[in-house]
Amino acid sequence: MSRLLETSGLSRSFGGLRAVAGLSFAVAEGEILGLIGPNGAGKTTAINLLSGVIKPNAGRVVFAGEEVTGLPPHHLARKGLVRTFQSTVVYGHRTVRENALRGAFLGLYPGVVPAFLGTLRARARRRETEDRIAELLAWFGLDHLGEAIAGSLPYGRQKSLGMVIALAARPRLLMLDEPVAGLAAEEADQVLETIRRIRQRGVTLIVVDHNMRFISGLCDRLVVLHHGQELAQGTPQQVLADSAVIAAYLGRGHGAA
Amino acid sequence: MASVIGAAARSTRPRISALHGLVAGAALLLALWPLVFGNKFLLALATLVALYAIGAASLHLIIRTGHVSFAHAGFMGVAGYVAVLSQMRLGLPFAAALPLGCLAAATVALAIGPLILRVTGKYFVLVTFLFGEILRLVFTEWTAVTGGSNGIFDVPPPAPVFATPLGFYYLALGAAVLCVGIVARILGSEIGRTIDALREAERLAECSGVPVIRWKVAVFVVACALAGVQGVLQAHYLRLIDPTTFSIVESLNLVVMNVIGGMQRLAGALIGALFLTALPELLRGYVEMQRVFFGIILIIVMAALPGGIIEIGARLRALGKAR
Ligand SMILES: Nc1ncnc2c1ncn2[C@@H]1O[C@H](COP(=O)(O)OP(=O)(O)OP(=O)(O)O)[C@@H](O)[C@H]1O
Ligand SMILES: [Mg+2]
Repeated sequence: MSRLLETSGLSRSFGGLRAVAGLSFAVAEGEILGLIGPNGAGKTTAINLLSGVIKPNAGRVVFAGEEVTGLPPHHLARKGLVRTFQSTVVYGHRTVRENALRGAFLGLYPGVVPAFLGTLRARARRRETEDRIAELLAWFGLDHLGEAIAGSLPYGRQKSLGMVIALAARPRLLMLDEPVAGLAAEEADQVLETIRRIRQRGVTLIVVDHNMRFISGLCDRLVVLHHGQELAQGTPQQVLADSAVIAAYLGRGHGAA
Repeated sequence: MASVIGAAARSTRPRISALHGLVAGAALLLALWPLVFGNKFLLALATLVALYAIGAASLHLIIRTGHVSFAHAGFMGVAGYVAVLSQMRLGLPFAAALPLGCLAAATVALAIGPLILRVTGKYFVLVTFLFGEILRLVFTEWTAVTGGSNGIFDVPPPAPVFATPLGFYYLALGAAVLCVGIVARILGSEIGRTIDALREAERLAECSGVPVIRWKVAVFVVACALAGVQGVLQAHYLRLIDPTTFSIVESLNLVVMNVIGGMQRLAGALIGALFLTALPELLRGYVEMQRVFFGIILIIVMAALPGGIIEIGARLRALGKAR
């Protein structure tokens, strides 16, 4: 399988704190890669670096064979690198449908002049996007909530909406920051199923979590982070058997983290 | 959940048709205004309201990106001086001088926009406040070109037809309809959706592919060019251009129009322009107390309607529903 994303030596410090230090891994096309580690391990920082939300101090990111280190988020989104946020981010005062449409900016926006004039092309894009959005909302069981205000939805629904917003941008690589944190067991199972279906549609995924059981059932490969550094990397079986992981993460290290 | 959906569905439908009716009614009233009220004072007032509608609406566009600019009158001044000078010194016709003035304002906006639009909130207010002051200093101190604090007198009318108050009123009204129409169209299109998105959640919008800074700069540039229309027309209306009409007080005035009318919607800016232009004129009879009355009225309005005068509409609708 070809490599869709590859990082080498990716590092970022905040003051004296090395939040991510020398991170190197690759994601193959069509794979689900798990990024796992205890609180404060640097998982979100890694996603922020990969999505361009913050810039690295050192290291490289190559996406689809092209160096993309330090590019801004909108540029990366255009290339197909899209992420969700750990603390649910939706447009709280807007309807579910409006949220999804905003996620579809790249497909929806026809350029300044067509948008201003409302040309046929602009209207055709709008129709296409609306169909696509309707399909996405149905997929996430949000179709009957299209006119509901996003901020008034229960937490789990808002998380789903966050994924809809990201998928509306038609990613090639989707990065999910703790998609099941705070969800009840059944809700989490549904999200798991949804993530598998996203992959079936040809989207590659990086999934962040700190629950080893959840993530090892889902992912093809895992990267374990600890204090910003890679502790282990490999298939779930390999990682679960790794003595460093057992010591630092699953064993007493859990408390120490 | 059902109540949330129901409320949203109910409130969007009638609001649109009511708004259309209101716009049509207002347009008719404005077009017939001079015929209905043959009074000079009221005609002058209507002309001023039309001019300020341009400034307030264009500032509203910037506010919708999440930035409250306190330099807006400064950009009007740039356009005003450039247009007047190119007409009086270079002999350009009004039809060329007006767009040239707006282009100048847009160019200045394009030069500083990428720098200042990276800061938000009170820092943006401070930076634009300073920039507005710098522009005023240029207008005041560059005496050889701008005529200093005396300004430039005897600015000719745009064309002979517009030399009468009635003719100028229709020019101002036409310009206001065009400029406000442009702003309304921008906000009603996909551009407006994106502007709202980047104001409400900048990071999220950026991760959906919106080049946020580029959009903010583009909106800023367009808004400053539109503000230029007011600057140019105002100079022709007053037959004079001087730094006081483009001071920080004037910028503040435009901000207050937006705040008092309601910052969420374009209509708020227009209501604010009407309210804030008409009120001082109507209080003219009480010269001594004018400012005091004005201040008191502003405070009462803001205390009663924190979302601006436009809130009255929502309140009335809520009342109607409660019945
Ligand atoms: N913007 C920032 N400024 C300063 N420190 C930061 C910043 N972002 C993250 N950090 C620090 O970097 C470290 C890694 O944080 P990060 O959010 O990446 O961890 P995480 O693995 O996502 O944790 P969690 O499981 O709690 O989400 C933490 O110590 C955090 O306090
Ligand atoms: Mg995190």
